[in-house]
Amino acid sequence: MSFTDIAFFAFVGVTVLAYFITPKRFRWITLLVASLAFYWINSGWLLLILLGTCTVTFGCALWIEASNKRGKEELKALGKKASRADKKNLRAKTKKRSRRILTVGVVLVLGALLLLKYYDFFADNAAGLLKPFGIRPPHFAFLLPLGISFYTLQAIAYMTDVFRGKVTADRNFCKFTLFMSFFPQIVQGPIPRHGQLAKQLYEPHSFDYTRLCHGAQLALWGLFQKMVIADRLATPVSQVFENYTQYHGLMLFLAAAGYGLQVYTDFSGGMDIARGVAQMLGIELELNFKQPYFSISIEDFWRRWHITLGSWMKNYVFYPLSLSKAFAGLSRKSRRFLGDFVGKRLPPILAMFTVYFLVGFWHGADWKYIMYGVWNGIFLVAGILLPEQYAKWTDRLHIDRESFYWRTFQIVRTFVICTLGRLFSRGETLEAAWQMFGSIFTEWSNLTFLSESTRLTLGLTERDWILLFAAVMVLLWVDRKHEHGIRLREAIDRQRLPLRWVIYYGGILAVYIFGVWGPAYDAASFIYGQF
Amino acid sequence: MEEILEILQEVRPDVDFLAEERLIDDDILDSFDIITIVGEFNEEFDIEIDVEDLEPENFNTVAAMQELIEKLQSE
Repeated sequence: MSFTDIAFFAFVGVTVLAYFITPKRFRWITLLVASLAFYWINSGWLLLILLGTCTVTFGCALWIEASNKRGKEELKALGKKASRADKKNLRAKTKKRSRRILTVGVVLVLGALLLLKYYDFFADNAAGLLKPFGIRPPHFAFLLPLGISFYTLQAIAYMTDVFRGKVTADRNFCKFTLFMSFFPQIVQGPIPRHGQLAKQLYEPHSFDYTRLCHGAQLALWGLFQKMVIADRLATPVSQVFENYTQYHGLMLFLAAAGYGLQVYTDFSGGMDIARGVAQMLGIELELNFKQPYFSISIEDFWRRWHITLGSWMKNYVFYPLSLSKAFAGLSRKSRRFLGDFVGKRLPPILAMFTVYFLVGFWHGADWKYIMYGVWNGIFLVAGILLPEQYAKWTDRLHIDRESFYWRTFQIVRTFVICTLGRLFSRGETLEAAWQMFGSIFTEWSNLTFLSESTRLTLGLTERDWILLFAAVMVLLWVDRKHEHGIRLREAIDRQRLPLRWVIYYGGILAVYIFGVWGPAYDAASFIYGQF
Repeated sequence: MEEILEILQEVRPDVDFLAEERLIDDDILDSFDIITIVGEFNEEFDIEIDVEDLEPENFNTVAAMQELIEKLQSE
């Protein structure tokens, strides 16, 4: 049951109705039942793997909290007269003990993800090394539980937050299972933090007509992005990427740009459906996109794109790595050889590279995804190391860095870098991506894509292209309004009733008439749902 | 306070640290700036700022940073 199935809308309708007619103190149970039912319908017995992760995470968090509490009591028992060194030692001992428990939890939940999602990748890569010894690791092709890449990160964040004393460990296993499995976010996020989401799920919400309308509007907008734009773009994009040797130069760049737009509308559309459905129930999920096509640098892009993954990586990989003793030692040593400027920046640069390597790897068990991460990492590091040179160059060219034209140039430049990066994430293989990359730069003057005969062999009719163009213009207009802080749903609220209903029906009809439906279309394939 | 300001201005000369009150919330300092600043604070004030301390409320203003440093020095 995908977010775009009629059955899903019926499921949401029943859940919303059931939620608001359930007595307030049991409303969280309605959400839990709906979430487990949704998971069961989609994944069957793989639900047990999710429940296994919930059990390990729940138990480890309680254990960590007990360890922290014991440390605090021991510190109290030392009394005020104890020396600073004694207190420091005791704190370090407590931390070490709690960290050990955290490690157990992380190894177990991450182990499940590594085994199920990455085992075959490791086996394939190890096969070459083990060949001389006559060993051939077996292939398993495990079925992936729905949302495992997302809920595993959620579980790690929760245990770490308990370890850091940011949140209190849950005492009720069923409530905690709801936090882990809440149905709008289980498929592809946003990756929530316990402090932001759990309380909203456990506390009852009263019915609010305006909020219900806003949630439905947001979900409808999500459907528009997914069904009118993303699914329409999927056909020509696949045609080019799957037959990349037949296309050249700018055509390949356009296909990569098309894929970028497809991923954006697919993922952001899915997020808006998830956020819209949650909003109907009175629950606010975190924002995952903030008009990424208006980014002025790669760094800015990653602040606006898949925000909750970026935030997770920052809090649970980048900061701990950068502040680790090993990295601090590296900084001291590198200053001696490389000077102050590079030495000071080396630990965060290495940590950032690690983050983008992991971001790539998280997307899939393939070297092409790793290259996608590294590609982004290179530009981020360049942005860190070269700001002074960058300022010098722009000064020398008498460029006003605040001007509209410069900002437009920055947006276009970021778009080009991101688009080239898409070759790695969408290319059939890493070799195919490099080949396409080369063709873009060596055969750029090949303009066959402009001809009607080429355009119409990509699986879309002339009507489809016009529709696609119009829909993308609507998307651009909406994103521009959001970029300027205009809240469109509130603006709709201020309109007279007949106009409001014209807008609602217009939206529904647009999705119904212009959405890509039909038997050939696999409604389950949200791109990020597969990650 | 002066030492703190000196460090901050060395890392980000383009920011008016005394005027800003939402250095983190408004994305004026990014995660890379934070790590560089923390490294400098650790060295200058002989403290150990931990991951747990990397919260917006500890870095939104110069006063908050000073408070964090004093707290860690007294521990």
